[in-house]
Amino acid sequence: MLEVEGLVAGYGGTPMLRDVSVRLAAGEIVGLLGANNAGKTTLINCLSGIVQPMAGRIVFDGQDVTRATARERVELGIIQVPEGRLVFPEMSIRENLLLGGFCDRARPHRPAQMEKVLELFPRLKERLTQAAGTLSGGEQQMLAIGRGLMAEARILMLDEPSLGLSPLFVQYIFEIIDKLHKDGLTMLLVEQNLNLTLRHAQRCYVLERGQIAVEGDADIVKNDPRTRQAYLGL
Amino acid sequence: MSEFWQALAQGVLIGSTYGLLALGMGLVYGVSGIVNFAHGDFISLAMFMSLALFSAFALDPYVSALITIPVMALIGGLVYRYLLRPMAGHQFLMIVQLTLGLSLVIQNGILMVFGGQPARTPSIVESKLIILGDVVLRLPHLIAFVVAFAMAIGLYVMLRSTDFGRSIRAVHQNARAAALMGVDVGRVQVVTFAIGVGILAVAAALLLPGTPITPTQGLQYTVITLLVVVLGGMTNFVSIMLSGLVIGLSEAFGQIYVSDTLGRLVPYAIFVLIMLFRPQGLTWRTS
Repeated sequence: MLEVEGLVAGYGGTPMLRDVSVRLAAGEIVGLLGANNAGKTTLINCLSGIVQPMAGRIVFDGQDVTRATARERVELGIIQVPEGRLVFPEMSIRENLLLGGFCDRARPHRPAQMEKVLELFPRLKERLTQAAGTLSGGEQQMLAIGRGLMAEARILMLDEPSLGLSPLFVQYIFEIIDKLHKDGLTMLLVEQNLNLTLRHAQRCYVLERGQIAVEGDADIVKNDPRTRQAYLGL
Repeated sequence: MSEFWQALAQGVLIGSTYGLLALGMGLVYGVSGIVNFAHGDFISLAMFMSLALFSAFALDPYVSALITIPVMALIGGLVYRYLLRPMAGHQFLMIVQLTLGLSLVIQNGILMVFGGQPARTPSIVESKLIILGDVVLRLPHLIAFVVAFAMAIGLYVMLRSTDFGRSIRAVHQNARAAALMGVDVGRVQVVTFAIGVGILAVAAALLLPGTPITPTQGLQYTVITLLVVVLGGMTNFVSIMLSGLVIGLSEAFGQIYVSDTLGRLVPYAIFVLIMLFRPQGLTWRTS
């Protein structure tokens, strides 16, 4: 469904990613692991069209989208749930969700889609008019995921969804991820939390200083000594 | 006592137009972080455009607004797209410098075309008065008040409950997240700037009847607008309108109760006083 080939990208001329190739099949959860600064966020920002790659190709559904704008990618259904949630703090939950379905493709189905999202997150339903900035971290993460789903994502890229959450919320968020997986959603899960990701993803890539160090089925990656090495930065 | 009511009425009426001027600036600041020091000169430009349309076709300023509003909006959009946007990401002061330069260009351009004599653009309602007991209101002021508030309410509703309005607020609150929702941030900024400058053309038409205009008046409007925007906390719509009223009232009371020259200082004195005790301005929410 998504193929990334030989991607080189970075900020201000210094590459953060060097020759990265990643594939996602439809319906898969793929984990993208790595220590801080390994280039995980740069990679999904390239996929979202916020960072322009210096070299390489991104193909989505057989279509070359390497040069597509951020807006065009949202229209295609490549949706990012950013690190730190980035909800619109002064807007209500309802308005945040409406903005999630802003793109032309999703806009006509917003009422139905919102019902589905609120069914998934009953907690948001109780406080639709509350300003997003007043929610707890876990609730904001629910909202950020809900907002991503409002865009009728075909690939949902979750950047550090467990960051800063209490263990209970982390568990809850991963239950949601499993539920979405059962419904057939393709997901790219960017995480620092190694064990959790290995448990939920079918396949994983481990980034180390901008390059793929290990890749393969979750079990294989789990037992590969280079995985721990990449993590500890040895 | 009649003086008091007169000042109150006049202040509210003028203040509403100041509020409208400031909404244009606040809107632009909200989505692109730019403070436009050519703001007042755009008002001048719209006013002189009305003058030209009056001289050529005898159009009343209220009628010629139908032409100046879209023309000014277009100019605003082009200025943002081709002058200001290329400066995005540079130092704040460089953008200030650029808008100051633009202010001089507009000022001298008007001077070249229209000369330095003060001019007037007459309107049929100009000398109409409305007398309520002891208070005498000029009809243009009343029209300005009604239109300014109608526009402010219209803008507020647009921002609150349309997709386009929500996309403007989204860019203001978090441009990166807005881009991830498929909002074209660059386009929102251009359109918002165009709307901001279009609003100035409305304000220009409201201010014109009975007001003499000179090419160099721009800075004066910029300063009064800045005063209102800062007092209103930069981006909060309701408090910007409120600040417009505060500045309008202090101007009117200053003119009536304090001697002429000193009276003009009253709005600035009140501004300084408020800022000393409430540095966040008149907003009740800091965000």
